Parts: sequence; structure tokens; C-alpha cells
Amino acid sequence: MKMSSLRNIWMLTRKNMTLYIKRGPVMIFGLLFPFFMVLSWILGREITLSQIFVGIVAMTSFFTATAISPVILPIETREKSLERLLGAPLTLGEILSGMIIASTIYSTIITSLITIVFLIPIIELIVSPLAIFYIFLGISLMAILGSSLGVLISAKPADQTSDIMLLMNLVKFPLIFIGGVFIPLVAVPTPVAILYFLSPITFLTELLRNCVNEPSLISPEICVLGLMLWTSLMLLASFLLQKRTMVKRFSETSGGNKKMKMMMKQQQM
Amino acid sequence: MSSFKPTVLEAFNLTKNFGALTAVDDISFKIYEGGIVGILGPNGAGKTTTIRLITGIFELKEKSRVEIYSEDLTSNPKELKKNFGIVPEVSNAYSDYTVWQNLFFSGTIYGLSKEKIKERAEILLDRFELADKINSKLKTLSKGLKQRVNLCLALLHEPSILILDEPTSGLDPFSVSIVRNQILDLKKEGKTILITTHNMQEAQQICDRILIMNHGKIIADESPDELRKNFKSTSNIMFTLQGKISDESKNALFSLFKTIKIEKNKFNLISENPLEDISKLNAFIQKNGISIQDFTLKETSLEEVFIHLIEKDSFKNTQKNNRRREEE
Repeated sequence: MKMSSLRNIWMLTRKNMTLYIKRGPVMIFGLLFPFFMVLSWILGREITLSQIFVGIVAMTSFFTATAISPVILPIETREKSLERLLGAPLTLGEILSGMIIASTIYSTIITSLITIVFLIPIIELIVSPLAIFYIFLGISLMAILGSSLGVLISAKPADQTSDIMLLMNLVKFPLIFIGGVFIPLVAVPTPVAILYFLSPITFLTELLRNCVNEPSLISPEICVLGLMLWTSLMLLASFLLQKRTMVKRFSETSGGNKKMKMMMKQQQM
Repeated sequence: MSSFKPTVLEAFNLTKNFGALTAVDDISFKIYEGGIVGILGPNGAGKTTTIRLITGIFELKEKSRVEIYSEDLTSNPKELKKNFGIVPEVSNAYSDYTVWQNLFFSGTIYGLSKEKIKERAEILLDRFELADKINSKLKTLSKGLKQRVNLCLALLHEPSILILDEPTSGLDPFSVSIVRNQILDLKKEGKTILITTHNMQEAQQICDRILIMNHGKIIADESPDELRKNFKSTSNIMFTLQGKISDESKNALFSLFKTIKIEKNKFNLISENPLEDISKLNAFIQKNGISIQDFTLKETSLEEVFIHLIEKDSFKNTQKNNRRREEE
């Protein structure tokens, strides 16, 4: 990769982090949502500290990773800045990388802080120093994976963040429920366990369980491999789908639709 | 006229479909170095889509091809796009960034060093009277100021081709005059300027060449003067005759000019050949001993040419569509 490409990606990443972190949907879906979800899960239940650790880290990681990347494209479509980027000497790959990296950094920083805070009371449960490495590797991979998923979902041509967030939630919640956050993989019957493998979160929760000495079915190495495969798949799918739908943003979003309808009418005349 | 000037941009068979809709329909044209080329057309004619195609925002497919300085745009898009400075109709800079942050971001992605960005920003902000706004967030600026920021952003990397999409649309007269004067200054500096506009007066004033688009096709490609000259049937000769005019004289005038209309004593002659008609009228007046009270020759405006061409093209299209429907 050329130096100029790296510089472009860094500029785009910086821009995305500066402009979008404080946006309403990012705060709501990235911070408030997982906080209240964890709260409602913990309160009134007998859950061990290590189980809480697994749930909190997995949910924070997934929710923060999927908070920024889906909002960037609708906002930039609406504010027309996407057109500026596409007309500039930038590749689509650089534009999308800027989104994924910004989202990954945001998710990794927040989840790492939460991890450190919740790791302190259960530090004696950590099976080995390698487990610490696995925890942070898992968080980082989930950050890239979730960010790519956000970009993949935002391939739907839309200029309203609510349209994308609705779709995002339709995907996010089932993935959380079959991701071993609330009921671990070892505790579910085989047919349901098969379903668990459709969620990449399962590999993170299993990895975290391995690290804090909780019962698990999948070894840490397989968990890392699973997360890597899911991450690669999401990255590839998001780039391919965005390439297909990018132009449609100019014809299928509300502003574009109005113009297209007018042109159609004129052509039929 | 421009054949001896180097070609900076050449578009071949540009076509863009959105599903069943053909937004740009197999158009080809050349843009020569220097001067201002205006793209005119009604809403939905395909002007913005054409701009998006030539600037690489839309992917060029099938036969469509764009050459910048004889180099295929798709062969080296990142380098070739640096030749363009694009000014959109609506500001598309980052509204939460300050003017400086926008300039720095834009300069960096166009490959300029921080020192170069500072140097260019200083020159441009002075030129567009924006120096005191450097730390203002874009969202706090008026539309006119935002458009001036857009011009700064477009000129920051010193592009050779400036593309302006309705740059004065919705601006106050003061901002319009600033933007228009700057466009003319940029032309003097040798920049090649491509502008889309709805404002016929503006096109007539600043453009050296005009492309008129309708239904995704180019229906005229000439200088504003040539367009008006070639468009024959709209010169208006208006005159009032002194004293009471006899019915006999009126009838003689009606038989002399088939396209003359009368309202009270005011005559309005729609002329295809004003020079010939004026001399005919002069002969008639002298022969009949009538004198003229006032006389006006209204030249065809570009707006009239534009409306005529669009109506003619739309009528042709309607007939074509009707025939096709009948066949179906």
C-alpha cells in the first residue's frame, strides 16, 4: 500500500472520529443501549462476576463496534460530503477503510477500558498471561468485525440514520441472543448450539469464557480462528456490497428519488 | 473556433442508466483549454449526472470513456482527479468542521503538505474575503459565505479544470456578484471552467460556449452569440406609428408582413430576418408618407433560444413516444 493511501485513510479516520463519535445515534446505540441491557440482565439474578465479565465485555465490544460505521454513510449522503469524497482522489477502499478503522478504534478503546475495570475484581480467575492477550485480541477482532458489519448494513442506500439503525438492530439483537452472552454454548441443546455458530459473538464469548475459567466448548485457538474468518467475511462482503450500491445512493435516497421521478416523468412525456 | 486550443477533457459516448431511466444518453463532447463552457438544461436534463460521470463520481461503463489531457480517466483516476476542482450547488464541506479544518482535510487528501495548505489557504481566504472566518464552523456561515468556502476548497490544490454546479443558485445578489467576478477572474488566469446553470443571463454574460441538454442528450453546442444568431424566428421589431392609421395602411402592412400583430397603434413584428424586414418597413413608411413615433428591435435572448430548443426537443420526444406507444 502506498504512503499516500495510508495518509488518506488516516485523514478519513480522524475525520470520522472527530465528527461522528458525539452524534446521538452513536451515543444511544454504542453506550446507553449496552449499559441498560447489561443492567437489566444483571439486576435480580444470581450471576457470577466472571459471567458478568463475559457478558459486559462481549456486549460492549459488539455494540460499540456497530455504533459509528453504520451512521457515517447516511449522514454523508444527506450532507452531500460523500460526493465530495467520491470526486476527490480517493478510492472507495480508502473511504470504507476510514470508516472501519475509526469505528474499530472507538470500540477498542471503550471496550478495553470496560475490560480493565471489570478484570480487576476477577484477576485471580485469569488462567494465564496468554489469556490477557487473547482477551484483547478478541476485543480487537470483534471491533473490526462489528465495524465491517456496520459498513455492510449501511450499503443500503439511505440518507437517514434511523433507516440504517432499524436494519442494524434487526441483525444485532438476534446475533446477541444466539451469541452465548446470556446462555452459554455449553448449556444449550445441540440443535440450538448449531444456531450459535451463525453468530460471530459466540466465538468471542467462548474465548472470554476460556480466559476466565468458565466452562466452554471451543478452544481459544479455534475461537480466534473463527473470529478471523468472520472478520474476513464481513470485510469482504462490506466492500463488495458497497461497491455495488454506492451509486444508488444518488438515485434511491429521498433527494435522488424525487429527481429520478421527475426525470422519468419527463422521459415518458 | 477552439480547434487550435488543446483539448483538456474529452467525453466519449457517456451513458448512464438508473434502472429504466436513461439519465445521460450516449453523449460525446470536447472541452478546450481556457474559457467557460456552460451546460444548460431544464431540471432532470442530465447535467449533474454528466458532471458526476466526467469527474469519476459515477463509474464509467461499457462504451463510456473520459479522457483528461488525452489520458483515460479510469487508467489513473487518483492522479487525474487532481485536475478537477469541484464546486457543488449545495455546500458539501463538513459543517461541524471550521473553515481551516475543511481546508486542511481537503488539502491533505489532494496530496498537499501542511505548509503548502497554509500558503494556499492564506491566498484564497484573502481573495474570497474569508480571512476572518478561518476559525468559524461552517454551519455558522451564511449560504453565500459557504459557497465562497467551496470555491476555496475547489481551488486549494490549483486544479486546471474548475467544475461549478449551479454556483450562484440561491445566493444573495452581493454573493452572486462576488462569485461571478471570481469566475471571470479565474477565466483570465487561464482556468478551464465548466459550469451548469439555470440562469440564462449568467450564461449569456460569462460563457464562451454553451451545451444545451434535454432528456440526457446534447441538443445544442455553440457560443451564446451563435446560438442567438442561428435561432431565426424570434427577433421582435416593435414600433408605433404617428397619427391615425387608415384601415388601408393597416391592411397593406398585414399583407406585407405575415407575422405582424397590432395592439392599439403598437405593431409587433416577429421577424426571421430583421435587417430585411426593417428595410421593407422603411420603404413602406416612405411610400405611404407615415412617420414612426417609436421603434424597438428586441434581440433574441438566450432564454428564448433555450425555451424554444427545449420545447422543440420535448415535442419531438413526445411524438416519438406516441409513435412507439401506437406501435406497441
